Amino acid sequence: MNDLLHPAPERLSEYLDGELGDRERAQVATHLQGCGDCAGAVDQLRAVKERAASLPARGPETDLWPAIEGRLKPRGATAGGRATILSPARGWRDWRVSLGLPQLAAAALALVLLGAGGLWVALERTRPSTPAATTTDRTAPDFIGPTALPADFGFVRYDGAIAALRQTLENHRDELDPTTVRIVDRNLLVIDHAIAEARRALAADPANPYLNHHLADQMQRKVNLLRQVTALIHA
Amino acid sequence: MERSEPGVTVRDTIDEGTPGAADRGDAERARAGDARAYERLYRRHAARIHGLARRMIGFDVADEVTQDVFVRAWEKLGTFRGEAAFGTWLYRLAINLMLSRRSWLGLQRRRMDEREGTLEALPARPASSDLSMDFERAIALLPPGAREIFVLHDVEGFKHQEIARELRVTTGTTKAQLHRARAMLRRHLEA
Amino acid sequence: MILSALAAVILTTSGLSDRHYGRGAHTDTTTDVKPGTRLQIENFGGEVVVEGWSKDAVHVYAEHSARNLVEVGREGGTIRVVTSGRRGPPLTAELKVQVPRWMDVRVSGVYTDISVQGVEGEVRAETVRGDVSLLGGKSYVSLKSVEGGVTAKGTRGRIEASSVNESVKLEDVRGEISAETVNGDVALAGIVSDAVEVSTVNGNICFGGEIHDGGHYAFSTHGGDITLGIPGEPNASISVSTFNGEFESGFQAKLFEHQGRRYRLTLGKGGADITVESFEGTIHLNPGEEKCE
Repeated sequence: MNDLLHPAPERLSEYLDGELGDRERAQVATHLQGCGDCAGAVDQLRAVKERAASLPARGPETDLWPAIEGRLKPRGATAGGRATILSPARGWRDWRVSLGLPQLAAAALALVLLGAGGLWVALERTRPSTPAATTTDRTAPDFIGPTALPADFGFVRYDGAIAALRQTLENHRDELDPTTVRIVDRNLLVIDHAIAEARRALAADPANPYLNHHLADQMQRKVNLLRQVTALIHA
Repeated sequence: MERSEPGVTVRDTIDEGTPGAADRGDAERARAGDARAYERLYRRHAARIHGLARRMIGFDVADEVTQDVFVRAWEKLGTFRGEAAFGTWLYRLAINLMLSRRSWLGLQRRRMDEREGTLEALPARPASSDLSMDFERAIALLPPGAREIFVLHDVEGFKHQEIARELRVTTGTTKAQLHRARAMLRRHLEA
Repeated sequence: MILSALAAVILTTSGLSDRHYGRGAHTDTTTDVKPGTRLQIENFGGEVVVEGWSKDAVHVYAEHSARNLVEVGREGGTIRVVTSGRRGPPLTAELKVQVPRWMDVRVSGVYTDISVQGVEGEVRAETVRGDVSLLGGKSYVSLKSVEGGVTAKGTRGRIEASSVNESVKLEDVRGEISAETVNGDVALAGIVSDAVEVSTVNGNICFGGEIHDGGHYAFSTHGGDITLGIPGEPNASISVSTFNGEFESGFQAKLFEHQGRRYRLTLGKGGADITVESFEGTIHLNPGEEKCE
């Protein structure tokens, strides 16, 4: 290198880091003695490097432990390949169901039925057979619909399919991007909240056709979302 | 220096100041399922991991990435055999996780965050007396490739060969990106 | 010579033979196609923009890292454009693809924003963490995202639009519509359809469009409000259900209230069937246009 020519800027960083060969290092050193600009540039690069090396360890502003703890799966052996049964009182995230092979097969069958649309879904909506009466009238003809059904009629099949799908999600959770998993978890929580409210309402009014239909809708949504996520896993 | 598969080679000095014996004991208990022991490990190492996440990935996802690291470490505790210090093992796991997630996390940002000009948006003089936090914010605004290499080299102390191997680029690229990062940060410091 | 299903057929344009691999910072290739050929694009992350043009050719322009491969090949009657990483997962790639307007297009990605315009064949676009937008469309359209928003404008044909975490917005759409999301709003404006099905769990629903005799329209949300704006003098039998919400109607029609906060009203001759359900939100039924802004 001609001492009158400035070294390429990257060379100054390499010089600072001791990455240049002996000959080139000597040339740069000689140049720096006579070039204030390049010497100043090296000083600035050194300042950046030293500032970087002296950055203090600084923790998060909020305590992340509660969120971390909530995501930790139990460590230790499980019996016979079954998921650990945890108390539902610990929250929806920990709610799991222990399923043996026959139950999983039944859940899988329910899943097939749901997927094929062959499963009976709550109530059929029908139009009233008579046209409107003369005024707003609380004695107007009733909605024509099926007779009252037990609040959980038909939903047990959803529970089985949901449990099987959720187990698949839990088993493969770390194969998905964590942010995607969090978004899915959040939305499952949204649906679970809707399901819980619908169940409570239905318990108080089991003959209500809207509530029956609404609960079935929300459970179907949960199944659909879980199926969508498991499809991502298998993709 | 130790090397894991896959992973980066970690300098011995990483564990300076870590109470090694306490870590080993708590790691043993955590491996058996003791969440309280794992919490103690978290409390001792969170600052370092969070700092790494802030600088490698960015402020906006550092909390999230830190959580991911500790959740992953819990799941992988069975692979911690106590040959290296727990802090070294955890740090290596964190680096690997962040490198594998960087392109995914980077996609969350709008493109304007990746333009060099974004660093210019920082105030000419530090807005607060906390110069190190302002410098960290400046690092966070570097273009992703330059930022990773700068953090790994100048902040965390890795060599160009190690960085090039992990990022699957040439040392020519790592040196050029390192200089690019320094040049951009130089303008921030001199204001 | 035995050709597997994935074997490439020699491409006959642009001097290319066999598959084209872009290894540099960009890929640029054009392929002639005959009517009936389909297009399938898989881009793991980045952006895909598909535009219809008047030529019977597919032009692929991609900008990507040198560590990515952009493979453009033909498998039977399908042109496939696939990005992959030489080692490990692919990095981002920005794809711009020009296609014949008649072409059926399928685009998929994970961390990918997808935009399609000017295509009159079937469009299927699916991503996980990205937005999906469609301008135009004349056939069957399926737009899906998990974390991103879904929008369509000017579509003529059957459309299925879904997101999980974000909103769905359809504007100036004619044809059967199915729109759903979990945590976002659904806004449908300028709709001309005789079959509409909209649902969300946590979001609001807004609908502005024509109601046709014999049509079926269903709107359902759990926690959000529903606003329906119906112009002209519709003929519709409307059933409204809520558990904990309210119902307000601007129509001068006889309203029946059934036990359990279920309402029924008939507009005109009652030719269409409209079902509106919100578990705890407010339901607004208004005459006139609703722009859902």
